[in-house]
Amino acid sequence: MKVEASEVEGRKVFSVRAFNQGISSWLERLPTVWVEGEVTELRRQERWASVFFTLKDPESGACLAVQMKRGLFDGLRLALVNGERIHVYGRPELYEQRGEFHLRALTIERYGLGEHLAALERLKEKLAGEGLFAAEHKRPLPRFPRLIGLVTGNDAAAKRDVLTAITTRFPPAQVLVAETFVQGARAAPAIATAVGDLCERGVDVLIVARGGGSFEDLLPFSDERLVRAVASCPVPVVSAVGHEQDMPLLDLVADVRASTPSVAGRLVVPDLAELRGSLDRARAALDRGARRACERYADRLGATHERLRRAPLLALERRQARLDGVHGRLLALSPRSTLDRGYAIVRAADGLVRVPPRAGTELGIDVAGGSFGAVTR
Amino acid sequence: MSEPTFEESQTELERIVERLERGDVELEELTRLWERGEELYRRCAEQLSGAQGRIEELARRLGSEPSAE
Repeated sequence: MKVEASEVEGRKVFSVRAFNQGISSWLERLPTVWVEGEVTELRRQERWASVFFTLKDPESGACLAVQMKRGLFDGLRLALVNGERIHVYGRPELYEQRGEFHLRALTIERYGLGEHLAALERLKEKLAGEGLFAAEHKRPLPRFPRLIGLVTGNDAAAKRDVLTAITTRFPPAQVLVAETFVQGARAAPAIATAVGDLCERGVDVLIVARGGGSFEDLLPFSDERLVRAVASCPVPVVSAVGHEQDMPLLDLVADVRASTPSVAGRLVVPDLAELRGSLDRARAALDRGARRACERYADRLGATHERLRRAPLLALERRQARLDGVHGRLLALSPRSTLDRGYAIVRAADGLVRVPPRAGTELGIDVAGGSFGAVTR
Repeated sequence: MSEPTFEESQTELERIVERLERGDVELEELTRLWERGEELYRRCAEQLSGAQGRIEELARRLGSEPSAE
């Protein structure tokens, strides 16, 4: 921007507005940089467009005013408090109306965050290497938990969300709640202990729930002691910690990860109404099935019985037929049938007559109708 | 020896019928097998009607409204 000066009594004079504009446009050309310091005088209000604080040099006490768009600041979910050491990434800016200079912050990181993240990443690699997050270790949740364990902070929200979700869906559910520290140095061992205690008291599924929080707030849920306690937990564990985008190691080791405490509650119990419906349907089907099975057995038995009734007669008839057949063949071989056809058997005293005998020989003659004597001529 | 199950009795009965129908049975055996078959039939029929009775009774006791098909 070109700033115009006027000539007054032989000197070049700038108006305040023009001067500030000039400084402002000059500042805008400076590069964006990281500045380290302590947070003081943090001011944030819902109706303000920006969040204000002062960054103080811990050694010299030098101060720098900082402004950040409130949406941007809230999006970081840092939960900053006065006295914390941070890195601010931003560029200098002038509030032209008042000639006040400040740092326009674009992002903020807690001092040492990078080290934290790296340590977390190393721990994650190590535990993954031991197979703690392996898919084949994930256990299914029980369909009908007898006793549900809930580990949560004594802050109302997460606990209430879980309990409401459970009792809405499955009113007879039994829940054992263990309230522990859920942030700070004592949180991780406290949660791990609560997990163990609830298991000993016979829960058959566990929920570890906590509402959203800053990166530091959720650090206990990535603690190695807690992760190992959950890995060796004898019952399935549901994690419901923070928001969707947070991914504490607890989420990786848990058998099921729920995006919110409410979801966790719904996951661990069946829907009672739905269950009643399907039970009724199953009973009706059982009823029909049992009747049909009986009918099928009765039909089969009846048919078998019918066959049994007929079988002996059949067997006897077959025998009779076979007997008749043999008898017929026997008959066919007997000489009687020959006589029936008109032949005669002629006997003399010395046996069957096969050549013409002398005259006067006495003969016995068999014909079909009987026997008679004769004498040859 | 424990009471034969329904299935065992039914299987034996069906074997007997098959044998009788094949007709390769000694005449003396015929009557014996037939009597055995009738006895098995009676036993099966009793067991079956007993089971049916229990199902009906249970359904009544549970107040089973005739289930809508």
